[in-house]
Amino acid sequence: MNWLTRLLSNRTDTASLDVALRDAIANWEALAAPDLGTAHFETRYVVINTEASGLDLDKDRLLAVAAIAIDRERLSPHDSYYAPLEPDAATALTNLLTFVGKGPVVVFNASFNRSLLERALDEHLRLTPDWTWLDLHWILPALYDEHIDRPARLGDWMKAFGIETFQRHHALGDAWAIAQLMLAAQARARSLGLNTPRSLADLEHSRRQLRRHG
Amino acid sequence: MPAAASEMLVGASSDFLTRFSPFNRMEPEALAFLAERSTLAFHARGSEILTPEMGQPTHFHIVQRGKVQARQLGPASVTDYAAMTLGPGECFPIGAISAQRPSTNAYVAVEDSFVYQLPAEDFLKLMQMSPVFHVFCTQYIASLLNQSRQQLQSTFAQRAAEQQTMTTPLGQLVKKEPIFVGPDNTIRAALEKMSEMRIGCMVVADAERKPIGILTQSDLLPRVVLPGIDLQRPICDVMTATPHVMSASDSAYDAALEMATHGVRHLLVVDSEGRLKGVVSERDLFTLQRIGLRQIRSSIEGADDLEALQRASRDIRQLALNLIAQGIGAEQLTQFISALNDALTCRIIDLARTRHELYGIDYAWLAFGSEGRHEQTLSSDQDNGIIYVCPEGADRDALKNRLLACAKEVNENLAACGFPLCKGNIMASNPELCLTLEEWKGRFGDWIREPDPQALLNATIFFDYRVLCGNERLGDQLRAWLNRTAKAYSNFLRLMASNALQVAPPLGRIRDFVVEEDGTIDLKKSGARLFVDVARILALRADVASSSTVQRLRQAGTRMGMPAEEIAALIDGFHFIQLLRLRSQHLDTEHDAPGDNRINPDALNELDRRILKEAFRQARKLQLRLKLDYQL
Repeated sequence: MNWLTRLLSNRTDTASLDVALRDAIANWEALAAPDLGTAHFETRYVVINTEASGLDLDKDRLLAVAAIAIDRERLSPHDSYYAPLEPDAATALTNLLTFVGKGPVVVFNASFNRSLLERALDEHLRLTPDWTWLDLHWILPALYDEHIDRPARLGDWMKAFGIETFQRHHALGDAWAIAQLMLAAQARARSLGLNTPRSLADLEHSRRQLRRHG
Repeated sequence: MPAAASEMLVGASSDFLTRFSPFNRMEPEALAFLAERSTLAFHARGSEILTPEMGQPTHFHIVQRGKVQARQLGPASVTDYAAMTLGPGECFPIGAISAQRPSTNAYVAVEDSFVYQLPAEDFLKLMQMSPVFHVFCTQYIASLLNQSRQQLQSTFAQRAAEQQTMTTPLGQLVKKEPIFVGPDNTIRAALEKMSEMRIGCMVVADAERKPIGILTQSDLLPRVVLPGIDLQRPICDVMTATPHVMSASDSAYDAALEMATHGVRHLLVVDSEGRLKGVVSERDLFTLQRIGLRQIRSSIEGADDLEALQRASRDIRQLALNLIAQGIGAEQLTQFISALNDALTCRIIDLARTRHELYGIDYAWLAFGSEGRHEQTLSSDQDNGIIYVCPEGADRDALKNRLLACAKEVNENLAACGFPLCKGNIMASNPELCLTLEEWKGRFGDWIREPDPQALLNATIFFDYRVLCGNERLGDQLRAWLNRTAKAYSNFLRLMASNALQVAPPLGRIRDFVVEEDGTIDLKKSGARLFVDVARILALRADVASSSTVQRLRQAGTRMGMPAEEIAALIDGFHFIQLLRLRSQHLDTEHDAPGDNRINPDALNELDRRILKEAFRQARKLQLRLKLDYQL
């Protein structure tokens, strides 16, 4: 988000935020952009997942955020984050930023998750992160077309891989399943010579194009 | 609230793990530790997860989903399976990661698989932390041990079956190339050859290798020496023409019958064309006969001359081979050997006593060293001594001299029965080792109070004593006094400990084993002794009366609060090394080479190598305990 939008916005000023939060945001902003050309085994991806009051972007609101890191192709339970937005949305979102860093981020169904999250970040923190979003919704069928050859629901992919989670439709519970899918995605991508976040982004891009024109 | 998220994910992992054994039985803290430290990774179908080339494994793996195949590499078969598939909840590599050596299997994902990984150092911590997990891992090792024993059993059963039946064809009995001379060779040349080859008879054969005569040692006196025959004459002048010849397809039984009928001790074995194949002696046939424990026992008890005792001693060795063939473990085996050797020694002493007036003398015959520990292998030499009581007013020198004279005969007869005389003169016939109870206390006390290197060395030999025959109470009194005294001098035990740590288990960081220049490992010096030395110290500390290493570890370990599985693992390790020693000695003695304690680890099969490594690791554990206890 640039200075112009911020200036034109009529929402709460970030100046009203707690000092600690402002520091945290400043620290986050100062982080260097990730190198999208590094290999998977040198990259920290963060799976982000949201939980909303419903599926209507116009009416429903964000209830909770969850994130799980996949660092060097491993998933560690300690490298994870979960917070409901009530009662303190600004803190929950600032901590999410701190946890995620500058990405790349992995989501399942970006159109919903991303819109919901960007709106909340804009509303509470007045910023829109410049993350590289990788959407498994598009990437998985490109990599594992022997399982499902078109964009499908998370539940279908979980079934295809036999993945289970402790709680469906919970931000972290679904993030756990998405993260496992990401592990699988990395391995298949690597075997196809797609070794970097950038190559995953390119794969997703070409898939979307194909879909649009095909 | 980042803690909440990781708690949920840890919970997800532990929920998964508790579906499987041993994790479902694991202590809650240990399970939490495992779930917390484990990370999840994915292995695409066909990818290698762990191979021997990757070196020491950095992670312990638990399959979460998918299938992983464990495939054995190399020619030797390690386990019953050549390839085994691991599914959810199964883990690898247990042996390699506990022994901190490269895996012997290759683990390959045969399906897309999710696998939990626990760093190696956390695995070792988990082993310490969780008795359940520890038992699980040690049982896995134990099952390997069991497989090894079965393998050993079948190898020996086959050997024994080949060797023991009297129906064995003679062709199989003769393994050495026959030694013979032509009829025109001089008597001198023939005798020189007999002497050089240490054989009891010389076969004379013609140019086509067909036997035409024989000359045995017993022929020499009447035919050569007494008549004063010129040794330059040809051998055909003195040989027995038309020797007893049997076909290679005849059985051992036929041969025995032939020998008994004609009163000969050697038979020539020929092939189907009448060419010399070898010589069968009476002794060769003797070893074929099945020898039972009870028969040996009663033959020892009934023996009334040296010759009968020598026969019994040979029988004991043969029995040991049979027992290994039946798959008996090292512990029972050494117990049998030790019991029979005890009986033999006692019989020798009994026989000697009839020739030396010892009536009324209160004494005990002591066995030291390995015999004292009930751990005699087949090539142990003698280590013995005497405790006696000198009644008031008795002539001590005269009494001692009588004991010494008797002991000398016993020592010599033991030597004649296959227990070599001790080079260091640790024998009852040595006046220094035939002492009263008070003198022994004085001797032991000096070593404990002034533990110089020689005293410490002495302690390692003499403190492992037991009463073999005579008045056992004398030994008990000495033991009680010794344990009390040693415990009071903590510096002595500390020095013993530091001495025991001089030799480390021959495990390498890079290579599997640290071998000596000739590529071998001394299983006594760098194996069994590591256990023996620590067990002795623990026994002195915990006031254990037994002199056997296994009993010492068991009793002292229990008193010191060591978990039973840990003690069992130590004992298994010790037994395995002892079993390898016995086995190599046995194989060696069969080939008439002197039995020793060296083995070449490369010559072992893969399974034995793995277990040997685990055994050494147990020794290292035992040493570590000592190191910590004494801050060394």
